[in-house]
Amino acid sequence: MASSSQFKQLEKLGNGTYATVYKGLNKTTGIYVALKEVKLDSEEGTPSTAVREISLMKELKHENIVRLYDVIHTENKLTLVFEFMDNDLKKYMDSRIVGNTPYGFEMSLVKYFEWQLLQGVAFCHENRILHRDLKPQNLLINNKGQLKLGDFGLARAFGIPVNTFSSEVVTLWYRAPDVLMGSRTYSTSIDIWSCGCILAEMITGRPLFPGTNDEEQLKLIFETMGTPTERTWPGVSTLPKYNPRLPQHLPKDLGALLQSQTREKMELTLIDLLYGLLQLNPDRRLSAKQALNHPWFAEYYQ
Amino acid sequence: MSSSPKPSNDADAKVKAKEQASLRVTDDDLYRHSSQYRVWSFTPEQLTQKRAEINARATAKIEQGLRAFRETHPDLTSEELAAIDEKAVPVSTDEELLLVSYFARMILSFAGKMNLPTEVAATAVSFFRKFYLSNSVSEISPKEVFHTALFFSCKSENYFIGVESFAKKAKTNPNAVLKHEFKLLESLSFTLMNHHPYKALHGFFLDIQSVLAGKVDMNYMGQVYTDCKKIITDALLTDAVYFYSPPQITLAALLIADEALTMRYLQLKFMITEESPTENAQGEKQEPKEGTSIPVPGQKLLEVIKECKAIISNKVAPPKEEAVKVTAKIHYSQNPLTVLDRLKRQRESNSTATTPGQTPVPEENQAKRQKSDGTTD
Repeated sequence: MASSSQFKQLEKLGNGTYATVYKGLNKTTGIYVALKEVKLDSEEGTPSTAVREISLMKELKHENIVRLYDVIHTENKLTLVFEFMDNDLKKYMDSRIVGNTPYGFEMSLVKYFEWQLLQGVAFCHENRILHRDLKPQNLLINNKGQLKLGDFGLARAFGIPVNTFSSEVVTLWYRAPDVLMGSRTYSTSIDIWSCGCILAEMITGRPLFPGTNDEEQLKLIFETMGTPTERTWPGVSTLPKYNPRLPQHLPKDLGALLQSQTREKMELTLIDLLYGLLQLNPDRRLSAKQALNHPWFAEYYQ
Repeated sequence: MSSSPKPSNDADAKVKAKEQASLRVTDDDLYRHSSQYRVWSFTPEQLTQKRAEINARATAKIEQGLRAFRETHPDLTSEELAAIDEKAVPVSTDEELLLVSYFARMILSFAGKMNLPTEVAATAVSFFRKFYLSNSVSEISPKEVFHTALFFSCKSENYFIGVESFAKKAKTNPNAVLKHEFKLLESLSFTLMNHHPYKALHGFFLDIQSVLAGKVDMNYMGQVYTDCKKIITDALLTDAVYFYSPPQITLAALLIADEALTMRYLQLKFMITEESPTENAQGEKQEPKEGTSIPVPGQKLLEVIKECKAIISNKVAPPKEEAVKVTAKIHYSQNPLTVLDRLKRQRESNSTATTPGQTPVPEENQAKRQKSDGTTD
């Protein structure tokens, strides 16, 4: 059991869903850690988000998921001691903006990051856990090129059959269309959509669907991916927030669209993978395991 | 930040991919990675030792207190010393377990009264029992922890209820509910994920219906399911949860609920045969043939389930009087002065017992009055 005196608190790294994160130094081992400080609400005790995150992180030991080393209790706060990562994907992408022009990553790096992202997601899903809040800010990276999933504050375990969950999750830009239309029976496919959005963003350096509200988010998605119909997505019209008067867009050529925003050559297999991840109909989206077996990753498993 | 990731680990990734392609992850593998298996599975010997150690630690502390009491009270009479030796005795490992079981069952009845989901109740029982695998009942009273376990289980199982309304329903106060929350979290080694046999029951229930399709009555199956659920709930209070996996416990419960049905299912599913001739699906007698020996893994499974059945068949439900006795004992051993007070009262009541209208207070009632500790409603 670690004590708080064992760690030296360094600079603030950011704000999580329910806590403040600092860089810390383990004085005994000289190893850097991330200290996630959770204010203990005297009213309710340990916040249930923290309880949930601790519960899940203790089960998820994987090299593409940030490790929870310890939990420390001091008078009025709880400190979750996490593995330290140098950076997050959001900051790293921002650092590549030159002037006002964003630049995507070299294709080899895009592939390596996406591969690791899908590995982490596949492990969560195998363990019946949905992350529900995948976004570049929550993907931590280090200078060895490793990528790990962090911030499980919104994650939850799912059973089979899948319960109806609250639709108020996932940052808008990476939120799946079925969730945006009020589906409450979503499952692992919710995380896969996010993986697709993140993949596109790594290629171009720009968010794929940067909506500012639910309506605009759906509009942006449909403008590019086409407006779904009962024929392309059986059951879509029964979703709570389905709007039958939506303007009918035809799908655009996603490959050409993204290619116009990067100097890297986009392979056909990459475009195929993107379509697999960004299927409007959640039932038709690839699973994390299927995505990992996609030909675009062939060089990793030959 | 100056980190510049390089995709230098391509080779690593290739190896990983290869490993992955050749491995299929089974539910059993997943279970082996769970904290329930890694942290909370024990052999009976390990469990006995754990409990003995905790009891020894608490006993040593109490005995030290008693020695100090004797030293600071050098003028005790031999009668008083004898009373202390008799009454102020630390509780044994068995008595600790009895009290824990008593309160664990109380959690179930509380959860029932509060209409909490089955999984919440089950997790609370699990938290509570695990808490006493690193704390002694003489160190922290079960009365102070059982509400905490139930409320914390609500948080952990995603069942939203505010502490105010919880405390109100449980007829206690928020501070009492939260007082030992971190101690609980710490005692659980921060591992909160529980896999209960109910989910496995649902799976087996569906599988039995498909394996024995057309051979079982659906209404009857519904009854078996309900019975099994109750048996599983009782099993959560036994040590089977530390020795067996949730599906093993479920199969043992099914065996208790309907042995013939379960055996038939296992025979068809895992090719298990009993020593005695059994009927096959068509109802014909099937003689065990030489050479067609029993497949070993199936037989092993049956042995394990039967062992588990033996453990969960003993319903853990200590009577209230026993729990009251243990509680009184804890109180006396930690407050020897109360033994003397009791002796004094006894003497007084003896000398006045001849006075008409005065009856001596029965011993147990006295103990209860001094320290009921929640074991009375």
